Amino acid sequence: MNKNDDYLPKIIAFLCNWCSYAGADLAGTSRLKYPPSILPIRVMCSSRVDPLFVIKAYLNGADGVIVAGCHPGDCHYEKGNYYTRRRFALLKKIFEDLDLEQDRLMLSWISASEGPKYAKVATEFTEKIKEKGKNPAKSKIFL
Amino acid sequence: MSKSDEKTKAAVIPAKPDIRESIINFLKDGMDKGVFDSVIIPMKVPSGDSFAYVMIKDKSILKDGSFLPPVMPIQGGRMVSSVTRLGKTDMKTAVVMRPCETRATIELTKLGQVDLENLILISMDCPGVLPLSDFLKDPEKNIKLFDDAAKKLDDTIMRPVCRICDKSSMISGDLHIGTLGAKKDTFYIISNSQKGNDVVEKLGMKLNENIDNWQTKVKSISEEKQKNREKAHKDLKNEIGGLDNLVDAFSKCINCHNCMSVCPVCFCRLCYFDSDKVKHPSENYLQRAKNKGSIRFLPDTTLFHMGRMMHMSLSCVSCGACEDACPMDIPVAQIFSMIADETQGLFDYVSGRSLDEPIPLVVYKEEELHEMEDAND
Amino acid sequence: MTKALIINKGVEQGIIEFLKYLLDSGKVKAVFTLKKINKNGAVAFSLISKSEDLDDSVPFYPLMPVNAGYLLSRFTMKEAATEPVVAVLKPCEIRAFVELIKREQGSLENLFIISSTCGGVYTHKMSADGLVEKNLTKYWDAVKKGEILDDLRPTCRSCEEFQPYNADITVDIVGKNDLDKQCTMLLNTEKGEGLAKDMKGKLAEKNLDAKKLDNFRAKREKEKKKLFDEIEPKIKGLDGLIDTFGKCISCHACGKVCPICYCTLCEFESPDSEYKPSNYETELNKRGALRVPPGTVYYQLGRLDHIAISCVGCGACEDACPADIPVSIIFKKIGESVQKMFDYIPGKNLEEELPLSTFKKEELSEVEE
Repeated sequence: MNKNDDYLPKIIAFLCNWCSYAGADLAGTSRLKYPPSILPIRVMCSSRVDPLFVIKAYLNGADGVIVAGCHPGDCHYEKGNYYTRRRFALLKKIFEDLDLEQDRLMLSWISASEGPKYAKVATEFTEKIKEKGKNPAKSKIFL
Repeated sequence: MSKSDEKTKAAVIPAKPDIRESIINFLKDGMDKGVFDSVIIPMKVPSGDSFAYVMIKDKSILKDGSFLPPVMPIQGGRMVSSVTRLGKTDMKTAVVMRPCETRATIELTKLGQVDLENLILISMDCPGVLPLSDFLKDPEKNIKLFDDAAKKLDDTIMRPVCRICDKSSMISGDLHIGTLGAKKDTFYIISNSQKGNDVVEKLGMKLNENIDNWQTKVKSISEEKQKNREKAHKDLKNEIGGLDNLVDAFSKCINCHNCMSVCPVCFCRLCYFDSDKVKHPSENYLQRAKNKGSIRFLPDTTLFHMGRMMHMSLSCVSCGACEDACPMDIPVAQIFSMIADETQGLFDYVSGRSLDEPIPLVVYKEEELHEMEDAND
Repeated sequence: MTKALIINKGVEQGIIEFLKYLLDSGKVKAVFTLKKINKNGAVAFSLISKSEDLDDSVPFYPLMPVNAGYLLSRFTMKEAATEPVVAVLKPCEIRAFVELIKREQGSLENLFIISSTCGGVYTHKMSADGLVEKNLTKYWDAVKKGEILDDLRPTCRSCEEFQPYNADITVDIVGKNDLDKQCTMLLNTEKGEGLAKDMKGKLAEKNLDAKKLDNFRAKREKEKKKLFDEIEPKIKGLDGLIDTFGKCISCHACGKVCPICYCTLCEFESPDSEYKPSNYETELNKRGALRVPPGTVYYQLGRLDHIAISCVGCGACEDACPADIPVSIIFKKIGESVQKMFDYIPGKNLEEELPLSTFKKEELSEVEE
């Protein structure tokens, strides 16, 4: 495998305070195993995530970007995550149309009690990113 | 940096195999010896159809640098400001730019937009630069055309303001690469500051050659250009002088403000002419339309240009970036450059010539400009 | 069938007579349209309150110095028009204005909109070279026959939305054989009918010729497919973007002239996007070298994300680009793609909310995991 078995992807994860971040916390306190590839950034709501954050992370070389929030209908602020879903769909479409590896971006709904889901998402996404290899944006000079 | 009256000395460097590669080697040597931590120099973009400034830390990338590209897509002063506006860089950085870009950088330092600490400004004798839209018609062919024209000192294909530029060898930075008047297959490295002296010394070179030949050649070229400049400005004044002609000159303007965006010394983040101050309620426009019968919409095109002249002409370096960026081919650079000569001339000021010269509007003499007062006396 | 007023003059003369009537009768206090503003033939939008000044107006001139939707937004953003004003706009300009109204950047109050089926406009380059005037006869000839000229703006050549939405009056132009003898104005709304009442001309019941317009649309669609296919390999992947935007000079002219980009201080010119010295060091350590000023591709991707949903495909961006980058086709292509996701045609329906300002409880399950 020339995709660097020992290459640890750098995945930026925007986690909403009330659900996903708590879920990630639960995964930790439950001692669930998942790769140390995730860099969590806590936001109050997934709708705080400006698509520009995701674009910047990608162009700065992040191998993967996760946006995680409460399940639709359970948003702490009532409807934030509905907007997140639309924004994310639009961004993913732009990436897809420009052939920019849209599968390096993931939107996931993880509730506060879903520690195992967080660990699963982290593990599976890391595996997928590992297979894709490093983000070529890391080494570009003329960005 | 000061206007040195002492006999300036230089080092003479062999141009082996050619000037371009020698300069790259000079810079590489600087990086090897720790004199520079990084170098900012133009490079061809990956698609090969233009050039862009690149800040280089990895020495191996330096070999693709191009010290005198045929185009100036982004004015160097604007570029340096983007690197050091928020503070000095901790890396000792050599910045290789044309004289007008170096002057713009000095001017921006006075305006608080550049921190010169750790920057070593290196300029060179400039043959001019191609208008961007001309260059883009056939980049490969035009690179060759430019190189040929530069060798022959033929400026017919250069920007209109370049063709009448009498400051194409002006030194305002730390070091200057002098190609004019140099013996065959050599060039001068002229130092203009203590920083420059230190760099040359650390690179094991001695500043022990005189630059009489260079100065003579530069003077003769500059005097010729000065003559052309005076004539061009006289003709231009006839063409656009008077309110009707001035309004006509800007009649095709679409108020895109490109000229302002690319200007190195127009540094305001939010230009007055983009701000709320020029956004009026509909009643204002309707009233003006009633008064005059009809008004252009958006109005105040001439106001924008005269306002910009008022704001920046003392700092204008006549680089011509504005004219390259104008989508309607208005000769903005020629007009602004002509006015800048007059306004700077009023105070015996040359934009970016020296860091020691304050911008005329921030200082005053208690007795001066009496000819402007009390017109009816 | 729609009520229509037929003026017995060619379209260019007829519309001027109508506009003069509107001013003289007091139905409007000012006219907003294209006008020749000096002897050298420079054409610019003007706000006209004196009837005689309409003699120099050229309402259907094949030029768009600025997207008039943006101009109407500037006219009405501080306060709605305080007096009735009639504006002659091209279809994409109306759509841009509607998109701006949805963003609270203007108001249709007290405004009457006249438009036409649109034959497209020439580029700024041609205008700067003085070629628009020289090509006028050729232009009107092609419009009469419903043909597409190949020196028009690429976005115009490939535009399928040449029939205006939200116009009170639509002048029948594309494919109209008799447009140098008759000016046929379809009165789409009550407001439009009110304007036309008592104007000299023949009242009739008319429709636009659907078959001719379908033929025309098919030609435009074909050209669109060609332009989209041409651009696709150029913007494929990160390398494609780096190549295409290699000559970008970061002037942001595309954003400044774009009607949808209305932000006074653009995000990408604000302190948010400014690199600190430490950022440069991080990037240099990581990459070995960095283009300065940085953020060329970031700006383009970011602007796409911000405005693609409302891009009306007017092409103002490409005309303003000093580096000849085919940015209008790129934005039009991606724009249509994201608009299709939400079944949204920007500027078509004033009541329809912007897709990102609303949501459905169940949708887009394909993007969730």
